[in-house]
Amino acid sequence: MADENDNDRIDDNQKPEKMFTLKKWNAVAMWSWDVECDTCAICRVQVMDACLRCQAESKKDSYGKQDCVVVWGECNHSFHYCCMSLWVKQNNRCPLCQQEWSIQRMGK
Amino acid sequence: MLKEKGQLKFEDKWPHMRPIVLKLLKQEPVSPAEWHELFYDVHLVCLWDEKGPAKLRDHLHEDIVQFIKQAQNRVLAQRQEEALLKAYIAEWRKFFTQCNYLPTPFRQLEKSLQGKPASASSSTQGNNNKKGPIEESIVRNLMLDSWNDSIFSDIKHRLQDSAMKLVHAERNGEAFDSQLVIGVRESYVNLCSNTEDRLQIYRENFEAAYIQSTELFYRMKAPEQLATNGVQAYMRYADAKLREEEARVQRYLEAGSNGVIQCCVKVLVGNPLPVLLAECAPLIRAGETERLQLMFRLLERVPEGVQPMLRELENHITQAGLADMEAAADIITQDSEKYVERLLELFRKFSKLVHEAFSDDPRFLTARDKAFKAVVNDTTVFKLELGTGRNIGGRIVAPESKCPELLANYCDMLLRRTPLSKRLTSEEIESRLKDVLLVLKYVSNKDVFMRYHKAHLTRRLILDASADSEKEEDMVEWLREVGMPADYVNKLARMFQDIKVSEDLNAQFRTSTERHDAINIKILNAGAWARGSERVTVSLPVELEDYIPEVEEFYKRKHNGRKLQWYHHMSNGTITFATNGGKFDLDVTTFQMAVLFAWNQRPHDKITYENLRLATELPDGELRKTLWSLVAFPKLKRQLLQFTPQATAPKDFDEHTTFWVNQDFALIKNAKPQKRGKVNLIGRLQLSTERSQIEDNQSIVQLRILRTQEAIIKILKMRKRISNAALQSELVDILKNMFLPSKKMIKEQLEWLIEHKYMKRDDDDINTFIYMA
Ligand SMILES: [Zn+2]
Ligand SMILES: [Zn+2]
Ligand SMILES: [Zn+2]
Repeated sequence: MADENDNDRIDDNQKPEKMFTLKKWNAVAMWSWDVECDTCAICRVQVMDACLRCQAESKKDSYGKQDCVVVWGECNHSFHYCCMSLWVKQNNRCPLCQQEWSIQRMGK
Repeated sequence: MLKEKGQLKFEDKWPHMRPIVLKLLKQEPVSPAEWHELFYDVHLVCLWDEKGPAKLRDHLHEDIVQFIKQAQNRVLAQRQEEALLKAYIAEWRKFFTQCNYLPTPFRQLEKSLQGKPASASSSTQGNNNKKGPIEESIVRNLMLDSWNDSIFSDIKHRLQDSAMKLVHAERNGEAFDSQLVIGVRESYVNLCSNTEDRLQIYRENFEAAYIQSTELFYRMKAPEQLATNGVQAYMRYADAKLREEEARVQRYLEAGSNGVIQCCVKVLVGNPLPVLLAECAPLIRAGETERLQLMFRLLERVPEGVQPMLRELENHITQAGLADMEAAADIITQDSEKYVERLLELFRKFSKLVHEAFSDDPRFLTARDKAFKAVVNDTTVFKLELGTGRNIGGRIVAPESKCPELLANYCDMLLRRTPLSKRLTSEEIESRLKDVLLVLKYVSNKDVFMRYHKAHLTRRLILDASADSEKEEDMVEWLREVGMPADYVNKLARMFQDIKVSEDLNAQFRTSTERHDAINIKILNAGAWARGSERVTVSLPVELEDYIPEVEEFYKRKHNGRKLQWYHHMSNGTITFATNGGKFDLDVTTFQMAVLFAWNQRPHDKITYENLRLATELPDGELRKTLWSLVAFPKLKRQLLQFTPQATAPKDFDEHTTFWVNQDFALIKNAKPQKRGKVNLIGRLQLSTERSQIEDNQSIVQLRILRTQEAIIKILKMRKRISNAALQSELVDILKNMFLPSKKMIKEQLEWLIEHKYMKRDDDDINTFIYMA
């Protein structure tokens, strides 16, 4: 019993004022693409989901890693990168504002 | 042979031929010389006397008739049935043998009568036993027809009656020589000279008499048996008699006639059918499988026999199932495990009944399944209200069974680390999960199951609370196998994939920071996990808040173009609670943490509800729930917080209610307070607020509307034009693995699609729809 009291006293010395101390925190957050419109205007799928082509392909191997990222143009419009790279082969303009398409940044 | 035509007369030869013919008829010995002479004489008569063949036939006929008359007298001399039959059969057999024998020498006559020239070879064929030509022989037919016209026409009724009397005696258990009946029947068959229908005489006389006497016999016996011995004994009697008659038919009748059995079935089963059927429900109720088996065997023989049995079975299972559920309502509405086990017990019981009583006959399996569906989807014991809210004009959707929610809860108990899952072996868990899938098969609102199952899975993955991660992924595949929609199953699979990505990220984060000891991060793909914007704000204690910028910095370095939202209602942790006398590890939610850390600066203070609200910034509802979990946690004998004044529910707190930390807190084990220990206060991690639960139900309804529209368009795209009835059935087919669309909902969606020009009604037929591209 005396032993235990000693231990308690040592603990008290180390953390004198805290009644509750944090031991472990499991923090949860959700990420999403920082976009103005959450649907890709080219394939009509939410940008958080893989584009139609990628969805069709990943069905074959249901655990295949999906890396269907988003791309932003200088005009700040955003699309699936897959969708946009097909689109610009036909027409080098943003499908939403008709400005000439140039990539501002890529999602990662 | 040298004589001219007309030189030799029939009358010259007949006196010489006749004694041989008579000997043949009487089956007396004929020498080879006589036999040959007869051939030769027939030949001569036919060759030389123009009228010879006709005369020969007439004289032959006369002698045959004469002979038959004598035979008839010998037969009719018998008074007694058996002796009569015996005598007749003996005479007939003798005569019938001669029918194959006598025509041979007259082959030449046949040809002459048919106007064909004689051929030398025909006379040398001797006594030919080949059936073909003999059966069509004129002489043979002359013999058979004569027999038929004289003896048979006169005594056939006596013959039949005698034969039927013997059969009757046999039915009453008396033994006799069955050959007698068989012999009579054979004479009926062989007597027939009609080569088109050899059984004509037999069928019109013998079989008809047989059927008549059989019917008469059972018309007498059946009601007597039923009246004296009761229905149960009667069914055994009828079954035995039907088998007996089947065997008897084999013995006494020609193959291929089922008139007798049809008649027996009518009299033994068809006539008393209502009385037999009245017995069905009590037998099902008592689980009398052997008697049901017997009843099924009998009733299957009549056209309207099985249908009422199916109805009885379906009614019984439905009623017994619902009664069972209602009787146990108090327990099963509270306890998913008990509910599912009760259901399964019911299923097993009735499946066993169908197996044992009806040998898993597909008709009975269907009746069972219909009843199971009724029980599972019933809403009397408990129901799920799926309000549609104001978005859809305030209409209320019909209440649905809560079964899918309870099934999902039960799955959660098996897949999470719980006392139940710890108690069971891996095989037992697997077989119970399969049981759940079996029940799920009968659930019509499967989409509700999917929603709850996904919520539970989310909770397990976020709390790392799965009992067995391999089994988790097996379950996803089993759901795919039982036909859950692919996009749903894929979404679950995506959560597993995402949680693995998140684990990698956490490992990287922990190596990247100095203060890696106390924090784990889960940063998840909102598309795979989050539902709407149901975040709850909270003011984090500084101990936690300090971590946030560091995590966000780290994440920004790793990724581009992403924004993070903290889901503190999902996060949780472990804190150490030091009291005067002890030290305890508490597993808590972040909300509980936020409340408890409010005392760190003032451990002995009493804090009002209002001040706690200011400190934590939690919404009212969440704060009440969180406080309640700390003052009245069911598993604890001594609670963490104490409060005044009295309250019996979270809603009783008001802004002046004061709370303080229980400095005498201790865990109680074996009635002794412990100074150390660990306790989990998280309970069922709150994934959604009350408001979002209502939204959840609304979103189920909205998703159904969307799915229905999608499916209608898909069908129309394929068919171009389709009738209303065909559309409805294809629609149910497409949607049945998610939910059962109501007629009303289908109608509303059709109207909507027509209004929005996706389709139109045919101008000529308003019940036909046409796709508009
Ligand atoms: Zn796209
Ligand atoms: Zn893609
Ligand atoms: Zn643009």
